[in-house]
Amino acid sequence: MENKERGLEELKTIVGEDNYSDEKVDLIPYMRDPYSALMGRDIVLPDCVVLPDCAEDVQAIVMLANRYDLPIYPRSFGANLAGCALPYRGGIVIDLKRMNKIHEINADTMTATIEPGVTWGGLGKAAKAKGLDAIQIGGPYCVGPVGNFLFSNITHYATSYSADRVVTLEAVLPNGEIVKTGSQCTKIGAELNPYFRYAYGPDVAGLFRGSMGNYGIITRMVMRLRPLGKIEQAVLYGFNDMESALKTMRNVERLEITRMNVVYNKYMLMHVPLTPEEQRDDGERKRVLESLPPYLMIPGIKGDERLIKLYKEIIGEEVEKEKGYVLDVPDEIREPIIRYCEGGSDVATRIYAPFSGFGVAVGCLPVMNVGKMTQEVIELAKQHDIKHPVSHEFQCPGMAAIPYDRCSTVYVELDVLYDPNEKEEFEKVFGWVREAFKMMVIKYGATHVVGNKTLLDRVCIPAYSKILKGIKSLVDPKGIMMSGGPYTFE
Amino acid sequence: MLKEYEKTINHCLKCGACKLAYGPFMPICPSGLKYGFESHYAVGRVEIAKAILDGRLELDVNVMKRIYTCTSCGGCDQQCGPNAGVFPLAVIEALKHEGVEKGLIPPEVRDFLKNITRYGNPYVEKAEDRAKWVGDLEVETYSEQDMLFYVGCVGSYDERGRRMARSVSRLFLKAQVSFGILGDKEICDGNEVKRVGEWGLFKYLAEQNIELFERYGIRKVVTLSPHGFNALKNDYAEFGAKLEVLHYTQLLKELLGTGRIKPKKPIKSRVTYHDPCFLGRHNSEYEAARSVLAAIPDLELVEMEMNQESAFCCGGGGGNFFTDIMGSGPNSPARVRVRQALETGADILAVSCPNCARMLEDAINIEAPEGGMRVMDIAEILELTC
Repeated sequence: MENKERGLEELKTIVGEDNYSDEKVDLIPYMRDPYSALMGRDIVLPDCVVLPDCAEDVQAIVMLANRYDLPIYPRSFGANLAGCALPYRGGIVIDLKRMNKIHEINADTMTATIEPGVTWGGLGKAAKAKGLDAIQIGGPYCVGPVGNFLFSNITHYATSYSADRVVTLEAVLPNGEIVKTGSQCTKIGAELNPYFRYAYGPDVAGLFRGSMGNYGIITRMVMRLRPLGKIEQAVLYGFNDMESALKTMRNVERLEITRMNVVYNKYMLMHVPLTPEEQRDDGERKRVLESLPPYLMIPGIKGDERLIKLYKEIIGEEVEKEKGYVLDVPDEIREPIIRYCEGGSDVATRIYAPFSGFGVAVGCLPVMNVGKMTQEVIELAKQHDIKHPVSHEFQCPGMAAIPYDRCSTVYVELDVLYDPNEKEEFEKVFGWVREAFKMMVIKYGATHVVGNKTLLDRVCIPAYSKILKGIKSLVDPKGIMMSGGPYTFE
Repeated sequence: MLKEYEKTINHCLKCGACKLAYGPFMPICPSGLKYGFESHYAVGRVEIAKAILDGRLELDVNVMKRIYTCTSCGGCDQQCGPNAGVFPLAVIEALKHEGVEKGLIPPEVRDFLKNITRYGNPYVEKAEDRAKWVGDLEVETYSEQDMLFYVGCVGSYDERGRRMARSVSRLFLKAQVSFGILGDKEICDGNEVKRVGEWGLFKYLAEQNIELFERYGIRKVVTLSPHGFNALKNDYAEFGAKLEVLHYTQLLKELLGTGRIKPKKPIKSRVTYHDPCFLGRHNSEYEAARSVLAAIPDLELVEMEMNQESAFCCGGGGGNFFTDIMGSGPNSPARVRVRQALETGADILAVSCPNCARMLEDAINIEAPEGGMRVMDIAEILELTC
């Protein structure tokens, strides 16, 4: 204990008194995130929180944590949708939101060099100023690319720009060393050419993806941007059944003409055009629901007028083959839906409204299994008697299907909503999430980018888990990073 | 009281939208930007409220210090309400009220409230000095004129506020507006009292003011301060007030529209306008001041990146103007705001609130001591052209 107190005292000298707190009132807000209720574990009060503003400070904190055996839990802007940054065992929360510089937007390499506190909104704005754009996530503008990369890196732009937009990165390893990946791994490369992911062996940046912060704290990341089109549009197509929508998406993605694409069921989108207050009015909610077809495909295209016209014709033909149609809905419904699909939007949080409680089951699997699996997850929702928090009628899960790499595989997300004030409903959702996830993994072999303790210990083959944990023991011999989390040794 | 907000508290998604303005994608929370810890953002304060309700945290003066760094600017409500469905400011102000009820308030807040109670103003000045700002102007005491010019504490006692009150009055006189003031009879509007959570004292002040207005037969009020405007317009109705309330920029706009004020001389200046929170976000009035500036020949209006709904607070709300709980430093809201204004290349930073005028003028002396930009009130700018 004495040792710990000395360590915490020393921390103040690294970040300064103003950027250190061990007061309970400052620590409590770090114990909850959008998904903490569904973590199924107690979140522990950390010992302290620090606010470093540079990589050197981060390194000094990590080295100190090693000396004093203090667990560390880093977080970037703080909107963690998977409980990844919540403490397990006291220790130090490293709040990185002050490291929010965009060091470079490079129009030649089409890259941005960012710090962990940069948000998708901020990155998009800076990129647009140079005729580029961030390859956005479907989530809200206030979340950050670094945290997103450590979690999953899901994007509606997965076909054209790959699911992985990270080029190279600089990270403070849990043992205090600094690693630079890809073409940055040489001194001259770091200075002159930090713009290529692959160099001298395996893909080290790739190790960090989905690692939930276990392998180090990313202090700088070079991100791929995309060129903005002269005209950019997203078109709404309606389908009466899931198979037709998914088949059309597959056919369209194989043509390689879209910049993004996604299939939703109407339950996923019904809340997007409405404010949470409006959503709490069941009549309003049903009005939007009735105006939407059972399934929507929303491809994004770009080019000059000629190309846009041509792409629309080609996509239209594919849509028609499966008896789909161009969706005619009022602008008040269309505009926010498109804004949501384009990513990094203000309306993204509306899908979790009206009361902000949500349960989500996700998995990646081949397109031909998506329909069957989704149907089973819906059946599970019926078995668990999942009710909509406003209507109190059966709640069909919202579904989003994002094509990866020309639709060779599909990321499927199924969401249900609840009111956190209704404990009984929460318990049902909690049960549904667990069973749905289990069924997706065990029965369909669906995968998700992040690993949790159960998956690593019981589902993954031993050699696979051994590699992940082996790398962890190499870079984190004292096991201080995310101590108690899924990659913990014991 | 806090218990009433339990459901709202549980509805907070924890997404952090309350920290960042959509559009400019820049920090919107003044205290969060200054202190950095989650406890100084709306999302953290809502979690603190939850911990108090759950019995995981006890309310004490130290906890309240985190709550009182909130300037009630409403930036969090603006970002969260329409999309994530929570209006955190009501929770934060309920926390302040809880602190007041339990006598757990920081000394700065206690002194502020004590001064209002004892002296009727936070400046520890005499009531008979309220109209000293009038000086040699021919401003009449209210007596059946068309409207009351409600000056408020800052306009009455603060040197910067007094200059603004004089400027506004000169324009009203020039336009032959039928108005009067209450002078030493004027009572604090109580907007900041309510914002620091002393709802009982606020009720008393509101009722005193309403009684006074009724005694004088006052039906129409034009205010100098957006803070007073907010209290009179939105909060007094609860206590039975039936008033038509205008902010002086709204009246100036009307006077320009009807030709009673005519801009003559051109002003070759680049001007950027700072939206006061209690006129803008709290009352959706973004246009009046801009239309006054637009009426001035040759004046070029340039917007700061954070403007209108996304305007960054100067730090003078929520009682902080008087308590100064946020203190100074490079990340104090007023200095951040002045740096944003300097980025526009403007030579005038226009304001329409005496609190903002004082906060930003003090900050400009540190951020741009060599000159190059000065703070001017909308009325002061308009006077230059008439």
